[in-house]
Amino acid sequence: MALQSTEEQPIIQLDNVTFRYPGAEANSLEGVSLSIYRGDFIAIAGSNGSGKSTLCKCFNGLIPTYYSGDMEGTVFVDGIATAERSVAELSRNVAYVFQDFENQLVRPTVYDEACFAPLNFGYEDYKERGMNALRMLEIEHLRNEWIWQLSGGQKHMAALAAALALDPDVIVVDEPVAQLDPAHARVIYEKLKLLNERYGKTIVVIEHHTEFIADYCRKMVLMERGGRVRWVKSVAEGLSAVSELNEMNIQPPQVTQAFHALCREQAIEGALYPITIEEAALHWGSAAKRELPSTDAYASAASSSRSAGEPLVRFEGVISGYQGIDRKKKPILQGIDLSIHEGDRIALIGNNGAGKSTLLRLISGLRRPWEGKVTVCGRDTRKSTPEELSDLVAFLFQNPEEMFIADNIRQDVEYFLRARQQQGIEPFIEDVLRRFKLTELQQRDGRLLSGGQQRRTTLAIGMAMRPTIMLLDEPTASLDIASRKELTLLFDQLRDEVKAVVVATHDMQLVADWANRVIVMNEGRILLDTDSRTVFQHPDILDRAALVAPQIVQLCGRLGIEPACLSVEQFIAYMERAQREELVYGIG
Amino acid sequence: MELAEPARKSSIWEKLSVERIKIELLRTAYGQSRTFLSRFDPRMLIGWYSFFAIAPWFIHNKTVLIGMLLAIAVLTYTSKPSVLVFIVLAFGLVTDTAYMLIVALAFGGGLPAALALSTLTLKLLVIALASIAVFSSMDPEKLSDALLSLGMPAQFSFGVAYGYRMLPILIEEYNNLLYSYRLRGRTPLRKGLLGWRSLVYMGKISILAFYPLILNTAKRTRTTVEALEVKGFTYAVKDPKVKRIKLAYLKILPRDYAFLAISAIYVAFLFWLGNQYTL
Repeated sequence: MALQSTEEQPIIQLDNVTFRYPGAEANSLEGVSLSIYRGDFIAIAGSNGSGKSTLCKCFNGLIPTYYSGDMEGTVFVDGIATAERSVAELSRNVAYVFQDFENQLVRPTVYDEACFAPLNFGYEDYKERGMNALRMLEIEHLRNEWIWQLSGGQKHMAALAAALALDPDVIVVDEPVAQLDPAHARVIYEKLKLLNERYGKTIVVIEHHTEFIADYCRKMVLMERGGRVRWVKSVAEGLSAVSELNEMNIQPPQVTQAFHALCREQAIEGALYPITIEEAALHWGSAAKRELPSTDAYASAASSSRSAGEPLVRFEGVISGYQGIDRKKKPILQGIDLSIHEGDRIALIGNNGAGKSTLLRLISGLRRPWEGKVTVCGRDTRKSTPEELSDLVAFLFQNPEEMFIADNIRQDVEYFLRARQQQGIEPFIEDVLRRFKLTELQQRDGRLLSGGQQRRTTLAIGMAMRPTIMLLDEPTASLDIASRKELTLLFDQLRDEVKAVVVATHDMQLVADWANRVIVMNEGRILLDTDSRTVFQHPDILDRAALVAPQIVQLCGRLGIEPACLSVEQFIAYMERAQREELVYGIG
Repeated sequence: MELAEPARKSSIWEKLSVERIKIELLRTAYGQSRTFLSRFDPRMLIGWYSFFAIAPWFIHNKTVLIGMLLAIAVLTYTSKPSVLVFIVLAFGLVTDTAYMLIVALAFGGGLPAALALSTLTLKLLVIALASIAVFSSMDPEKLSDALLSLGMPAQFSFGVAYGYRMLPILIEEYNNLLYSYRLRGRTPLRKGLLGWRSLVYMGKISILAFYPLILNTAKRTRTTVEALEVKGFTYAVKDPKVKRIKLAYLKILPRDYAFLAISAIYVAFLFWLGNQYTL
């Protein structure tokens, strides 16, 4: 079954495709018809469980060849039905970068990885093909690096290079932003843009970070529950459908949300909203020119409450690090002096390798300072074991799966108290499970939960330890927007019970919404120790630490609003006030 | 990659921490590409090694064995193996010798019997050092290609290389799981004689931590298997052309023959010497 080849023939075409995984109770895709044309840069958005990954696995034939579920309808790639071709054949047309891309890398070095697929297909010039892929992404310098020594961003790059080595027409990337920090995610998108513009590749991304969709994609597919396609629109049109997106738990770009709230009445039906900072700056350029003094209404949030008295944690001239493969000691932290007080909600930010995790490990006692001293609630960590310190400090790892050590999550939550042979803990455990909405899930193994549920579980494990200080390493990484919002709400639960919280994060939204103290780290030193409003007024420091301020903060910078609004709500309040005053001035 | 220093005031733990083991393993695997033995063809090395791994079992002449040991000790030295490997080896030898002494004395053989048993130790030492010399000079990639070339199934040789690639990740994860046990567990309140309670505690969680590791790995494998499918690995396995292209770089050079010849002459000389002067 082959379609007639014409100029306008879509590179990928789905005809009324329905698919159900073997043993599943419901269809994952339901009557999907979709055409993707050569040279498109298209985003597939939708809430969790709306079949985005399933859809993309149809493109390269993993469905139905590899997953032999019930499939109806036909998928054409370059005019040929996928059912007639093997996965390997199709991978010359369609490349796939998985969401957990680290598990996709099977060879020891970047170069070997890039050459692997061309070698398997028996190309004599496989080395040249591998190198070409590295050249297209401009990562030739990484060719001899061991995969396990790469950073997350570099690993993603290597996975992309391996996918490119067969010179496919279409590249599918599953949630590039989920596992990477914002600066690295932007690098990946820049490369995808390059591949799209210079090499004419068709790019399909699964993405729910609408700010990336706005900046890079041209078309957008919205999937809804049950695996249906709601619509396919241009990105400008799609992102302007604010209420529809909200309904799907997709957060439109901040500037679009602000516009929606402020200008809904004036806007003509069907008109396009601004979706990028440039467009928003153009729109509001005139309105916000006028100087408005900042008011206490939202300045009060910034003042952090530094209580007097003995700090909970004190770092004095701490140097620490690790030993490299050449047995040389590599210092990561270089002379840290720091005090953490009661009431601190600290966001620890900085690029990868800046020393954030090392700092957290020093507080938990998993690691000792080479020089200097770390004191936790009056105890010298060099004289205590991590077991002893765990009475005071709860440390939640970046990867939740590394915290699931019991048979089910209830036992995980109980583990700490059981180890201490405490009696009558059932009511307390029930309460913790209820507060973190885990009562229904308590008999499940943590590994089998969704990302958001796993994070909730780790928070519950931490809470059940009744710690004085809680340390969290990247708690919002790889969460969708809805789960992230939920998590931020749960953070408020900690406030009453835990005296100080330290979160290492790349999530600037969390910094803006939650933290009352921000510590920026770079190359093992503390660059800046301030509050969340001030930190965004130092673009040079954010740059050095490879951080990107939230869109609304950037917009305020463009518009000259000082101090910057940290959230969409603050911005809306500011603009409404500006309009009112303009009105008053106008009359007067 | 972090250096961990688990228990307090215990230098032995610092030496034997999981992190330490990881570094040493990686050094053994990938650390040195420029040793004397690494210059030779891996297939030749495997052949050479199989002689020194098997022959000592059939040689009872101590002169020959000591001669072999000296040569192999020099080769082992040139391949700069990790200290950890030596610690393990030394531990094995010491316990082995002690065991033989006890057995010999207990069953009335006396010192002569112990001395006779020491031939076995000598054989084991030759074999162990030969393994160390060859495998710490050969990176896993070369080993895997040599195995493929020698007719092993492609899945097996791929498995060798893939195992090594996964090793650092698995050790890292194991270490973090171990930390999870420690950060929520509790050390015994009384340490017991020579800290035996603490040792039992550490031993127990070291074993328990493997279970979550296995489950996590099982979950991860799905993507890997899909990726192998997409990258055409399952098709390559059946295609002899792929094997030819992949192994095209393996060439046996004159220096490989020279090394074999010198080894053969040396062994022949040892047998001659062994006949002259039997120890």
